Amino acid sequence: MATTTEKISEQMRLITQQGKMPPWYLKDLYRYLSAFAVLTVIYIGFRIYQGEFAVSTGLDSTDPVFETYWMRLFNFNVTFVTLFAGLSWGYLWFSRDKNLDTLEPKEEIRRYFTLTMWISVYTFAVYWAGSYFAEQDNSWHQVSVRDTPFTANHIIEFYFNFPMYVILGGCAWLYARTRLPLYAKGISLPLTLAVFGPFMILVSVGFNEWGHTFWYREEFFAAPIHWGFVIGVWFAHGVGGILLQGVTRLIELLDELEEAA
Amino acid sequence: MSANRSPRVFLAYTGEKARIVRAYDYLILVLALFLFIGSFHLHFALTVGDWDFWVDWKDRQWWPLVTPLIGITFPAAVQAVLWTNFRLPLGATLCVACLSIGTWITRIFAYHYWNYFPINMVLPSTMMPSALFLDAILMMSNSLTVTAIFGGSGFALLFFPSNWPIFAMFHLPIEAGNSQLTLADMFGFQYIRTGMPEYLRIIERGTLRTYGQVATPLAAFCSALFCTLMYALWWHIGLWFATTRYLKKI
Repeated sequence: MATTTEKISEQMRLITQQGKMPPWYLKDLYRYLSAFAVLTVIYIGFRIYQGEFAVSTGLDSTDPVFETYWMRLFNFNVTFVTLFAGLSWGYLWFSRDKNLDTLEPKEEIRRYFTLTMWISVYTFAVYWAGSYFAEQDNSWHQVSVRDTPFTANHIIEFYFNFPMYVILGGCAWLYARTRLPLYAKGISLPLTLAVFGPFMILVSVGFNEWGHTFWYREEFFAAPIHWGFVIGVWFAHGVGGILLQGVTRLIELLDELEEAA
Repeated sequence: MSANRSPRVFLAYTGEKARIVRAYDYLILVLALFLFIGSFHLHFALTVGDWDFWVDWKDRQWWPLVTPLIGITFPAAVQAVLWTNFRLPLGATLCVACLSIGTWITRIFAYHYWNYFPINMVLPSTMMPSALFLDAILMMSNSLTVTAIFGGSGFALLFFPSNWPIFAMFHLPIEAGNSQLTLADMFGFQYIRTGMPEYLRIIERGTLRTYGQVATPLAAFCSALFCTLMYALWWHIGLWFATTRYLKKI
């Protein structure tokens, strides 16, 4: 009887312990979930701001209130993403691991999990930029008349959402390059494609807006001046190669781990 | 996570290793969900989006041709990776389900709640039956050629019948202003789109109106041919991107 009670107590202790702290390979789980929460608040906040002020202040770029409500937001966005890029990329570079040759298999496994979390947060930002706010742009163009490249949706989509996923993709690339031996010895082609390809979407804003100086309307969304964005997003398929690289290495590392219960 | 390794050396993980592997699977699932909503939706919206956004663009000549043609691209590329390496027969269904989630969220919150377009005017089409068929053909045949020919054709041919129960009611004829038009056309006239003059809609062009409703199956079979080719092309694009190479410099 006593043995059974002890076993139950031990099980309960283990469960409680597991409930409080994630296992070692998910050490960054709470940071990962926090990143999702922060980004969700930001993006939904943008949408609420648009719902509140776009129709009342965002239809005429010559109106002084447009300057107050939208160009100030544009200036804030550009400043914020510039600072965020410098801080996040700088932190990842200056805190890099300079002793990768002595990395233990367990620690390397944990870092592969963290890399996957970085890429996952990157794809979450890709969702908001490539799905929600991208198609919302079509909706806005069909109820307003474009008189500026800085519309109520472009200011958020082109000058916050696009740079944000570029920054987070860069973070994933830098994390891999500075903390994982295989990515430090060679430059992963699929990771580079998956990060630098969608980066070209940001650059395509220039082509798109140049095209719209000839055709100010959005006659149809599938117009060729939008296809630069399309080609950029194809490179997201590089994630398949990252998955294969990660799985192959994880299998090797798991083989090096001793069996645990 | 289970790589495509020889059965001779593969042993199922147990204990902590099994938990590690399962946790990695969940991380990949979350990653894939947002990746394919974001990327496939952008690709789709900027190539054939207009036919999907608006009910009055859903015609018999272009919509059944162009939508499956672009809709089969990402599914083929993802199938190439997931089936070849992991024997997961769900690449097409994953992509199309992600696309559906993305389009539905946007239509409701960006079109309906922000700009007051009636939700019936902006209902997204579905490619779920087509995707399930494509995955089933690949799983049963384990062949790129068979899937391209029969799966690709089926993907296109199933598109219109899958969507007809959703959109048929909007093709009912009505009379307005002494003209006969469809209910879908009426939406277009009532809810003015400032960027889209009526004459710029790319729908039902041409002069041979005696084709009547035969235009739809003709468009579907034309799409079937193109989808066969598009499938094979995008299978290889998917494999090309899924490289595992490391470079010395970029």
